[in-house]
Parts: sequence; C-alpha cells; structure tokens
Amino acid sequence: MKAARFIQMATVISLATLGGAATASAQSKTFTISWWGYNGEKMNANIIEPFKKICDCNIVFETGNNADRLNKLKLRDGKGVDVIYLSDSFSQQGIEQGMFKEIDQSKIPNLKEIYELGRAPQGKYGPAYTIGRVGLVYDSAKVNPPITSWNDLWRPDLKSAVSLPGITTTAGPMAVIQAGKHAGVDPYADTEKTFKAVEALKSNVVKNYNTGSELVNLISTGEVRVAMAQDFTLASMQAAVKTMTWAKLKEGDIATVNTINISKGSENVDLAYKFIDFILSKDVQQKEAEQGVDAPINTKVQLTPDQAKIWTYGAEQVGSLSLISYSKMNAAKTEWIDQWNEVFGK
Amino acid sequence: MTKLAKWGLPLPATIAVVVLLIIPVALTIATTFGEAKGAFSTYAAFFNSGFRRAVLFRTLEVALITTALSLVIGFVTAYVIAQMPGRLKSIMIIAAVFPLLTGVVVRSFAWLIILGKNGIVNDTLMSIGLITEPLSMLYTEGSVIVAMVYLFVPLMILTLTGVLEGIPRDLTEASASLGAKPIPTFLQVILPLATPGLIVGAVLVFTGSFTSYATPQLLGGEKQMMMGTFLYQRAMVTFDWVGASTVAAIMVVITIAIVSIMSRIARRLNPMAV
Amino acid sequence: MPTRVHPLLGAFAALVFLFLLAPLVIIVGASLSDTTYLTFPPQGLSLRWFANIFQIEAFRRTAITSLQVAFLGTALSLLIGVPAAYALNRYRVELPRWLSTLFVLPILVPEIVFGFSLLKSITIGSGLPVFPSLILGHALLVLPYSVRVVGASLASFDFSIEEAAMSLGCPPLRTFLTVVLPNIQAGVIAAFILAFITSINDVSVSVFLTGPGISTLPIQILAHMEQFFDPTIASVSVLLMLVTVGVMAIIEATLGLTFLTK
Repeated sequence: MKAARFIQMATVISLATLGGAATASAQSKTFTISWWGYNGEKMNANIIEPFKKICDCNIVFETGNNADRLNKLKLRDGKGVDVIYLSDSFSQQGIEQGMFKEIDQSKIPNLKEIYELGRAPQGKYGPAYTIGRVGLVYDSAKVNPPITSWNDLWRPDLKSAVSLPGITTTAGPMAVIQAGKHAGVDPYADTEKTFKAVEALKSNVVKNYNTGSELVNLISTGEVRVAMAQDFTLASMQAAVKTMTWAKLKEGDIATVNTINISKGSENVDLAYKFIDFILSKDVQQKEAEQGVDAPINTKVQLTPDQAKIWTYGAEQVGSLSLISYSKMNAAKTEWIDQWNEVFGK
Repeated sequence: MTKLAKWGLPLPATIAVVVLLIIPVALTIATTFGEAKGAFSTYAAFFNSGFRRAVLFRTLEVALITTALSLVIGFVTAYVIAQMPGRLKSIMIIAAVFPLLTGVVVRSFAWLIILGKNGIVNDTLMSIGLITEPLSMLYTEGSVIVAMVYLFVPLMILTLTGVLEGIPRDLTEASASLGAKPIPTFLQVILPLATPGLIVGAVLVFTGSFTSYATPQLLGGEKQMMMGTFLYQRAMVTFDWVGASTVAAIMVVITIAIVSIMSRIARRLNPMAV
Repeated sequence: MPTRVHPLLGAFAALVFLFLLAPLVIIVGASLSDTTYLTFPPQGLSLRWFANIFQIEAFRRTAITSLQVAFLGTALSLLIGVPAAYALNRYRVELPRWLSTLFVLPILVPEIVFGFSLLKSITIGSGLPVFPSLILGHALLVLPYSVRVVGASLASFDFSIEEAAMSLGCPPLRTFLTVVLPNIQAGVIAAFILAFITSINDVSVSVFLTGPGISTLPIQILAHMEQFFDPTIASVSVLLMLVTVGVMAIIEATLGLTFLTK
C-alpha cells in the first residue's frame, strides 16, 4: 500500500506541476459562495457587484445542485466555501453532518425585518432568504370538480392522471406526510398505514417527476393533469397549458424555504455574516422579487399585485403556511425511500 | 528492444488506471467491509431484499437486450456504411453520431412526443384505425430499451465501421470468386474478422447500459428502476456512500464476469480477438 | 472500390437512420419554438433560445472550459491509450489477458463512484488544483475508447507489413507513423469522436471534479434547468450539431471528407 501511495503521489505531483501552472493561485481575500448557478446575470447585478463594494474582495462561485455541492463540502470537511445556499431538507442534512457554523443572530441585524418563520428555521443555524409553497396544481379544463383538498389526490376519477414529486426530491417526502394525514396517522410513527395510503395512490400516478423541467414536460404533453408541485414551476406550466390552476386547499399548503449557512471551514466568517445580512436587506430582496428571481422574505418589501402573483407574498399568505419538521423527516427518509421504491417499483 | 516496447508502451496507461481509478475506488469500496455487523453485512442486506434483487435482474435483462439489439442493428448498418463510396460514407458516419450530441433531457422529451399518450405513434395508429385507445408505451421496460438502443447504436456503428473497413476486400472477393455463397462468406470470413470489433462494441454497450441512470429514470420511472438510479439515490440523496459503494461493488463484479464471458465467446469465434 | 449492397440490407440501414434522426427533428423543432417550455410542433418561430446561450455569461465561460477539458483529456487519453492498444495487439500472446480488461475499468465502474473516489483521494488528498484534476478525470473516463476502439482496428492489421518496413531499416516510431497509423486511422478517429463526445457530455464525474470558480457546460445547463424549463437545452443540442457540421464542412473544403475512412 505504501508503494502504491507513493506512486500515486508522485504521478499526481508531476502532473500537477505540468497542468497546475495554468490555474492562478488563490488571491489574498477571496470570498467563495456555493449556490445553484441559475440566473447568474441578475445575481451578479443585484448582489455580487454591490457586495464587492462593501467587502473589497474577490468573489468566486461553486455551482451545482444541492446534493452535488453538499457532497463536495462534506468531502472537503467543510472547507473550500464560505457560505452555501441550500434548500431546506439539504441544509438540515448539512447540519446533521456538522458542516455549518452556528449563527450568532446579533451579527445579522436584518433578521428582525424578515418573517419570524425564516429567522431560524432549523435551530441555531442559517436563516431562510426566500420562501415558497408546495401544493397541488390541476388542469381546470379537464378536472371536474376542482381540487380543494389533499384528499382529492385519491379520487377515483383521477386514474392515470397524477404526478407526484419523486421521493428523492425536496417535495417528495411531503407526499408521504400527506398520505399519513390522509390515513389519519402520524407518518413518522405508523409507516405501515402511511404507505398503505401511498399504495392506494399508485393507480392514479402516471409517473413521478424528479426535476421541474420533467414535470413541465409531463404537463405540456398532456400525460399528466394533476400534480403536487412547488410554486415556482406554476408560471411555466401555465405557459404550456393555460388552464393549469393552483388549487386552494382547505388544509393549506406546505412551506418550503431556501437557507443560507456559513460553512464550518469558512475563513471569512465576518464577511459571511455581512453577506447574509446583505441578501436579507430590503433593497436586495425588493430587487430580486421585482425581477422574478426569488420570493421575498423581508417584511418591508412592497410588491404590486401583478408582481406578487407568482410568489408566496404577504403576511397573510405566509402566516397560513407551516414548516415541516426537517429533522424528523430526514431521520425517516432512508426508510421512506425504501418503502416508496417498493410501492412504485413493483 | 522488443521487451522494452512490450512492457513500456502499455505502462503509462496502466499506471494511470491503477493510480487514478483502481486505488481510489478500492479505498471507497473498502469502506463497505468495515461495518459493525460484519464484513459482508451490507452485501447480505442487499441480496436479502426482494426489491433489490428485482432491480438487479431487471438491470441485467435490460442491458443484455440492449446489447444484443445494438449489436445486430449496429453491425448491419456499419456493414452497409462500409460498402458506401468515400464521401457518402463519411456523411453517414457523421449523421450516426448526431444522437450522441443531444442532452438526455431533450432526448427524453423527444421520446415523450413520439411514444406518449398523445404522441406521434399513438396518433398514427389511431388515425389508421389500428387501435381505438392510446397505448401506454412510456414508462415500460420497452421504452427504456428503445431509448438506450438509440444511444448505443451510434457507438456500435462507429466502432464497427472502422473494423469492417480494415477487412481486406480481396479476401471477401477471393472467397466469392472461389464460389462461396454470400452467407458462408459472411459466416466464415467476415464474422470472424469482425469479432474483435463486435466484442469491443458489446463490452462498451453492456457496461454503458448496465451503469446508466438518467435514461432509465426519465423513460422508465420508478417502475423500471435500475441499479444506476438506485446507486444515485443512495449517494446523492441519503448521502449513504457505504450503501452506494456496496451497489457499485456488486455492479463491478457482475460486469467483469459478463465481460470475461463475452471475451471467451469471442476467442472461440476468432482466436485473435483480445 | 464499393461493392453492391443487398437491397434488403440497404432498406434496413435506411430504417436505422430514420430511427436515429427522427427524434432530432423534434429537438430541432422544439429549439425554434417561441414558447417558454419545450413543445413540438413549435409554436411560433424564434431564435431567442439560441441567442440565450450566447447572452448568458456562465454558458460562454463553461463552454470554453468544457472544450478545453474535452480536447486535452481526449488528447491525453489517446497519447497513453494508443501505445497501449498497439502493445496489446502486437504482443497479444505474451502480454497477460487481464491487461485488456484493465482498460475497460473506467467505464465499468459507475461514474459517480469514480468521481467521488477521485475527488476524495486525489484532489483532496494531494491538493491538486481543480482544472488539472478535471482533465485527468476525463482522460481516464475516455481511456477505454482510446484503447479498445483503436485496438479493434489494430486486430485486423497485418503486422508483417510493419516488420517488412523495419527490416528495411525504417526506425520504429517512423514505421508506426507511416505504416501502422494510416491503416488504423478510421479507428483512431472513431475513438477520438467517441471520447470527445463522452467528455463534453459528462455530468457524473465532472460534478465532483469541478470546484470553486470552475464548472462545465453540462453542469451549467443542469443548473439553468433547476429554475427555467425553456428550450435552451434543445438549442444547445442543435448548436452542437451545427458546430459538428461546420467542422466537417471545413474539413471537406481542406482535406476532403474521405478523411474519416481510409
């Protein structure tokens, strides 16, 4: 093993000297942000350029989806990036894996301006910077009577008409939680009855989706008429099928948030606090919302009804939502994935 | 001199594979034997689950069918291409590569348009009155195989055209001029000489389809889950790298077994085949 | 000298091409649609999704990275792969059999496990910067094409020609370049094409080997698709095809298109 290790190092080092010359060495003060990577132009104009003036630093991005970036952060033992944007269930996993620093709320004055729900959604860790909903959408031209309850998913007239989020997506486990409620049990305690209810859904499900674009394709080609979805996909679905409607559910929708955390190995902690405070400020949140990037979580943001219609917006709407227990959900997730596979895999 | 060349020429590539692949992957797979419940507990757990065994068998079945279909389709097409005059031949090869230039998401969208409930195939069949209700073609083993064959036929064509080109034409002509019928010429001259190419193609297609995950996920859904998707779930959703590595180790062992069986068959057809 | 092809075989090949090209018609159609979602037949014609590719800075930047990585990675893999393929065929009897299996391993190990392991033990273990490790990872990923596809062409090469050249005093390297290489050209080009395309499309390995400041085009496209479901992805595919056709046209004008074959 030692010899192998030696050859390995020798090869790597010789190759590194050959190829490594091309990449510049790190600058003295570089702030690294891990995030998804879409909407780069707006992110740059609204957040990065103004923040550069505040911090007098270089800004570098690591991009990719939640799982990719969290996996890499873990492999590097929490080093390499300063702040990381994640959706709620992934940031909970990062917390459980010890990847983030605890947050000192006094260093983020703008926290006071955001909705209570978003200040510390996952214990002592990072705040939410945007809020969304998971609910049901349906084609009002083809689904009659309209969908008014989570229980409608089980309706016999919706045979081969439904798409659920796959168990491995952000919203997937929420389908399991709703199935538990439908069966009248606690989904975390009574897995058996919960998955009986999931199984009862099977004949209504055409295919479960794994990405937003897959869902939009299923809707636009008419394969699916009813779906459990996140609100940001609605506009695209309506562009494809005008009659797609966000259902008004009597039980209410489920909240989802995206969080921002300071990584355990951050070497620019003060800057990280400044950055988080900056993206929660009214000015940034206002711009991001007006340009259709993210729904605002700052209570002082003012939107016209037209700007607001694509977002979860306003105290009343936000107040009607509830967060799920991420720690409970993540603890159950492995078991749920197996059960879900068994139900839909047969 | 010969000795130096014999061992020296493959050395850089061998070192690269050992250092960059075998050692790192072995270190990862080694973690699967470190479980508290015993060295093979994760493997026992895998094979004790009926669902996981079903996923394994389905993956094997889909990969083998895909390989067989791609072999036949690719071989015949490559044979025809190899007979074409130079310029047309190049154009056909380029055209065959085009499917590989499309991303998996748009490609599966195209299949949605072709095979979907309101798709082209169903519309055509209904309009000529062959069927009255749209057929459910998507999210079946069939749709996964079609989409995979689509992806692997180009690879087979590219691999085999080069090989079939290399077969000296005077050999087939000699065989024909000696009075051999086309079929014996094919079986006794062309097929053995093409065997190295067929085996390389078969190995590339089998390994490629056995480990694929995006195509089965998009065109098969959960009902057609394959090993690649299962591994992906473990690694990227539950961050269970021990579980993922277990699946990977099982996949590697099975693929090596199948690849060596293929090589053995190939050597029977043509002792020169690697 | 082309020989005649049996009409049935010709018809079969024509059907295969129909199968291969029909989905592309849908993709081209979808890329031209003036809608914010993928649809076919296209509704309204627009080139805006093509313009989108050029307007988004991240696409431009990552496309350059992808091209660099694919080119250098493929070149590196051919540089070490072709000599290996040559030796495996030239000294077939003397070299151990497992050696040829060894070179299939990079596509045999599931890609994400390969990428994960490489990141864990090489990049992090040795502190190798992101860009060279991306190139190394891709070179290894496509090595099977370099070794095996070229090897398949070499299998039908008659090595006695090479011996004849060498016995006439031609030095080994020159013999290889002037006698062997022209005979396996189609195989080398096929290997290059397959390797290049595999590298430029790769997601699973790149996911792990990219890092702060460096990303590749397929990963950037996936990032875009987290939020937008528009036909940009179809446009990228069509653009890749157009670039291929363009490159071929240039080759046709300079070298003649028969370069792909002997």
